[in-house]
Amino acid sequence: MSKVIVVTSGKGGVGKTTSSAAIGAGLAMRGHKTVVIDFDVGLRNLDMIMGCERRVVFDFINVIQGDAKLKQALIKDRRLENLFILPTSQTRDKDALTKEGVKAVLDELREEFDYIVCDSPAGIERGAHLAMYYADEAVVVTNPEVSSVRDSDRVLGLLNSKTALAEKGDGSAVKAQLLLTRFDQNRSANGEMMSVDDVLEILAIPLLGIIPESTSVLKASNEGTPVSLDEKSPAGKAYLDAVGRLVGEQIEMRANPGEQRRGFFQRLLGRTA
Amino acid sequence: MQSGKSAAEVVATVKPFQIRGRSFTAVALHLTGRPDRAFFQALEARLNQTPLFFENAPLVIDLELADGLDSAEELMRLTAELRRRKLSVFGIQSGTPAQARAANEAGLISLPAGRDVALERVTRQGSRSVPATPAPAPKEPANRMITQPVRSGQTVFADRGDLVIVGSVSSGAEVIAAGNIHIYGRLRGRALAGVNGDTSARIFCHALDAELLAIAGLYRTSENLGADTPRQYVQVYLQGEVLRIESLK
Repeated sequence: MSKVIVVTSGKGGVGKTTSSAAIGAGLAMRGHKTVVIDFDVGLRNLDMIMGCERRVVFDFINVIQGDAKLKQALIKDRRLENLFILPTSQTRDKDALTKEGVKAVLDELREEFDYIVCDSPAGIERGAHLAMYYADEAVVVTNPEVSSVRDSDRVLGLLNSKTALAEKGDGSAVKAQLLLTRFDQNRSANGEMMSVDDVLEILAIPLLGIIPESTSVLKASNEGTPVSLDEKSPAGKAYLDAVGRLVGEQIEMRANPGEQRRGFFQRLLGRTA
Repeated sequence: MQSGKSAAEVVATVKPFQIRGRSFTAVALHLTGRPDRAFFQALEARLNQTPLFFENAPLVIDLELADGLDSAEELMRLTAELRRRKLSVFGIQSGTPAQARAANEAGLISLPAGRDVALERVTRQGSRSVPATPAPAPKEPANRMITQPVRSGQTVFADRGDLVIVGSVSSGAEVIAAGNIHIYGRLRGRALAGVNGDTSARIFCHALDAELLAIAGLYRTSENLGADTPRQYVQVYLQGEVLRIESLK
């Protein structure tokens, strides 16, 4: 039984594409056949984060419009054999997406893949709506600050009302979980950032994971590598934990996700700094 | 080019007036017969029940069921009698052409027939024995129960009763009810109770962090709630013209 997972947030710049790439790679590493779809038509980024921008020939919109076959548009990842990317068009806009077209593509993908990760654009308009419309589950990416939390709350409302599952009207709903990104334990403790509890109290959904603010994320993006492939970085490890929980494993939420296991010298230096 | 410049200048100057569309709510008085002594007695009895409610309320005389009354004199007399009772008559509606002409002469305007809406407060307090304003059948109250959090951007409206929310109301969300609002959770958004004018409506919530509180149109925003406002287990109600927030403990 394949699952469609939308990675969404409402607000831009909180880490949807980074998270989509990391979750997609994490699922593939666990042996699940996974495809990540870029729904951000016109602002194509996923292929760069995944490091396959030079291999894009056909895209999602070509497939929707019947100009190319799905097989032609899917790009196989070079590092993970179970990972595929369906890039989007940079030259078109979100109006090129149609409900019927998206459904047809997702139905075809469902036959072959275990997990279909939809990387939603920011906002709550057409692109974001269609990215979430056919989802079974949602990963709501949120930064620990008020505007991001409020936008996520808005998106949760839409997930409860404007999706195919919600419109069935039989009580079924998109299972939404929170992925708290760019979290800084020290700044949260100082009161500069919202705490995990504050965010959970407002959003009232299960916590999928806490991704610490980390320089390795930007580095991975620039290199075109999903950050979860960098198993040494705290962010990469946090993403892998989150993916484990996404597939139903019980993994303890670390109290201080930003904490690295420090070497002897690091501890010595850390104290003097 | 020149004309373009002068147009810009015209726009830049301060306008001496502005025209805006505006709609008012008026009371319609349906006459079913001659405005005789019995009519005025019944009217006074009705007005005495809610003396303040109709005071200086804009009023239209509906002549659909009234025969005669097609002379300016008769209408002027009726208008004077009604105004003496503090009813601000300004026009007639549903009149025959003759009645409309007479109204014009009497200084009243003639309106096309509008849509009547039941006055909630009238039906609540009023009696059905007054022929001048036949009270519509009172609507069945319909309470609404929401068992999920009300998210930012959502509006929940209980138009004919109380609204019960088991969960929180997020900032940017709106909960509106004709009756009371009960929130078993934290209220961060806007809550408007008694929107049809029920001044006895109240808002109850477990934790108060509201952006806006309103009862029967009287409101307070979070900015003027004050630091000493109780925040846990509170009720909000109207005391005269003051919106009071009080702890339930």
